[in-house]
Amino acid sequence: MLELRGIGKSWRPAKGPVRTLLHGLNLAVQPGQTVALLGPSGSGKSTLLRMLAGLEPMDSGSVWLDGQDISALPPERRRFALMFQDFALFPHLDVQDNVAFGLVEQRMARRQAREQAQAMLQRFGLQAFAHSKVWQLSGGEQQRVALARALITRPRVLLLDEPFSALDAELRLQLREEFRRHIAEQQMAVLWVTHDEAEARAMGVRGMRLQGGQLLPVW
Amino acid sequence: MVALPARGRRLWPGLALSLLPLGFVGLLLLAPTLRLLREAWPADGLSWAALWAPWLDPYLRWRIAWSFAQAAITCLLSLLLGLPIAWVLARFSFAGRRLVLHALMLPFVVPTLVAAMGVLALLGPQGLLARWGGPDLQGTPWLLLYGNLFFNLCLVVRAGCEGLALVSATRVAAARTLGATPWRAFWRVEWPAVLPWLMPALCLVFLYCFAGFGLALVLGGPAYATAEVEIYTLVAYELQLQQAGVLALWMMVLTLLAALGYAALEKKRASPQRADAIARRLPAGVRQWLALLLALLTLGALCLAPLLAIVGRSLMASATDVAPLAAWLDLLQEGDTLLALGNTLRFTLAAVLLATCLGLCHALAARRSVWLRGLVFLPYVVSPVMLAFGFLLLYPAWTDSVFLLVGAYALLAYPFVAQALGAALDAIPPHLQDAARTLGASPWRAFWRVTWPLLRPALRRGMAFAAASAVGEFAVTLFLSRPEWATLTTLIYQHLGRPGAANLDAALQLSCVLMLLALGAFALLEGGRPREAGHA
Repeated sequence: MLELRGIGKSWRPAKGPVRTLLHGLNLAVQPGQTVALLGPSGSGKSTLLRMLAGLEPMDSGSVWLDGQDISALPPERRRFALMFQDFALFPHLDVQDNVAFGLVEQRMARRQAREQAQAMLQRFGLQAFAHSKVWQLSGGEQQRVALARALITRPRVLLLDEPFSALDAELRLQLREEFRRHIAEQQMAVLWVTHDEAEARAMGVRGMRLQGGQLLPVW
Repeated sequence: MVALPARGRRLWPGLALSLLPLGFVGLLLLAPTLRLLREAWPADGLSWAALWAPWLDPYLRWRIAWSFAQAAITCLLSLLLGLPIAWVLARFSFAGRRLVLHALMLPFVVPTLVAAMGVLALLGPQGLLARWGGPDLQGTPWLLLYGNLFFNLCLVVRAGCEGLALVSATRVAAARTLGATPWRAFWRVEWPAVLPWLMPALCLVFLYCFAGFGLALVLGGPAYATAEVEIYTLVAYELQLQQAGVLALWMMVLTLLAALGYAALEKKRASPQRADAIARRLPAGVRQWLALLLALLTLGALCLAPLLAIVGRSLMASATDVAPLAAWLDLLQEGDTLLALGNTLRFTLAAVLLATCLGLCHALAARRSVWLRGLVFLPYVVSPVMLAFGFLLLYPAWTDSVFLLVGAYALLAYPFVAQALGAALDAIPPHLQDAARTLGASPWRAFWRVTWPLLRPALRRGMAFAAASAVGEFAVTLFLSRPEWATLTTLIYQHLGRPGAANLDAALQLSCVLMLLALGAFALLEGGRPREAGHA
């Protein structure tokens, strides 16, 4: 289970007063559960995800996973996967090597990692693009590659930062269903940042709103 | 959890990395410059009379005024010729367009002395134009202006092309539907959009021409030499160090003003936004085809003809008594040539390696430091002549040290590496490194597997320019020259200074070798670059 205990974060602009983004924030997410994080722009949703991934320091509080405090662990040792709004695919690698990236970092032999990446790509219907460069793919295909890359290492927690915001309405609907299927298979805790409340409700997940530095249940 | 001192954590590696370039710039640029300024300071204190001396002496005043005038005229000519060429290249689609755009890089790679020799081979005494019954332009200002245009026209054309590619098609269409003729739409919509790109380019043109040395030395002659050449003459031939120091001080102030102007204009330029660029089309009608032809002919006459002239003249050089091939073989087997070739290659290799280390450290350190970024322009502000003059004054015991020479080469070459890497680092989305970290990569592994592969093309590009700059370095080598350190550039200059057609032939043939070497070094490093990838 993922637990956020009393997380606080302030933003210190170059000019002007210090602004509190998150104030003593608490949340528990069970394995297999998805929590949609709603909130206006600038409310700190993406910052929260970056702090959970270990990419940004917290001012106060701690992050616990399965009863262990992991606040001091660097990002590479948390086994959290973060999916970025712009997908953050590596332009110098082909699709297969993008998907295999995390496995190679887990010291898996490159050949074996590529075989597993091929299998993953097959599941996502992307096997034909294995040797394409990522910038040759459409937005939807890039999205699938990013999800395949995030899921292949079997992360304990999946953090999604507005994963559908760059896509058109039809593609969003199609990919949403794909996402639901793949995430359900892996039984991991998912935190999903979105500002589309209707979409979050349609996914049938738990909804929380980040407002004034606090998390409030919406449904 | 206690807040991590993130700012401090990020600052220290940057500071450590900056030590090498900062120390290098301090020892080889700032200290010699300060020493040079002290030289301008008379023993009995600096008086206004001493400071104003260059402006009161009609001879020196003419040198400074001519330096200013030739730079200003080059700017004007570059704008008048370059903007129409840029417009044609930006708006028309035609076979070979990419090749023409690539060829615009040529003057950036060709050494100054080769360009000067090209102009002489075309327009000088015994040049192709004179042989075909045209006038000999030796002793006129046109030789220097032509040489300046060879180097700088492409810069303005490239800037114009970049600016015009960012003009919004919708805005031009809106202007046309509101009653503007094509010319008025250009004047009221395209011109204001392209101006922020042209102004910094023109400022750079001014800077290069004003502080240029090699072209002015070879093409200016006694009548049209610039202030930089005068400083060299005062130091090397007349030993008037104090007078040279005061003149150098004025040149530095004026160059600094131009550099500040460039920095201000560059900063004002908005970041590029490629929204709805105007689509290129095939020229329609005789007038548009003629415009294209005229643009290509102008580019060819100004930027390609001098290089072709060198090849042509060096091939027909000894045609009267010895076969051209035999003359070439004789020249290449001479001890002087082999020594100069070997030195050029050795110095270039050492300088490029050092420049790469410096550039890499500088670019990584400057990621979060604006002032460190600005520092990379310093070697452009202080001209090689002043630098070499400063070396002579500050490190007299070291002037016979090859390390100082290679250090000077690296100092002049490393901004190319630092700038190329800095731009590449800026272009890498920060999310990529973060993504690698969340996928299990340590900071070092994330750098090695993500940042480094993305930096490699820029590093090769920077190294290619650094190599081209080092191969053709002339001013510093001339100042610190020792017989055993002769490079191809100094050997060419030696041949030029000796009487007789045979020496001119040898200078032209060596220029050809130098040009091939510069192009070869550039192609070797830049040529293997993979296709530019768009970011996901």
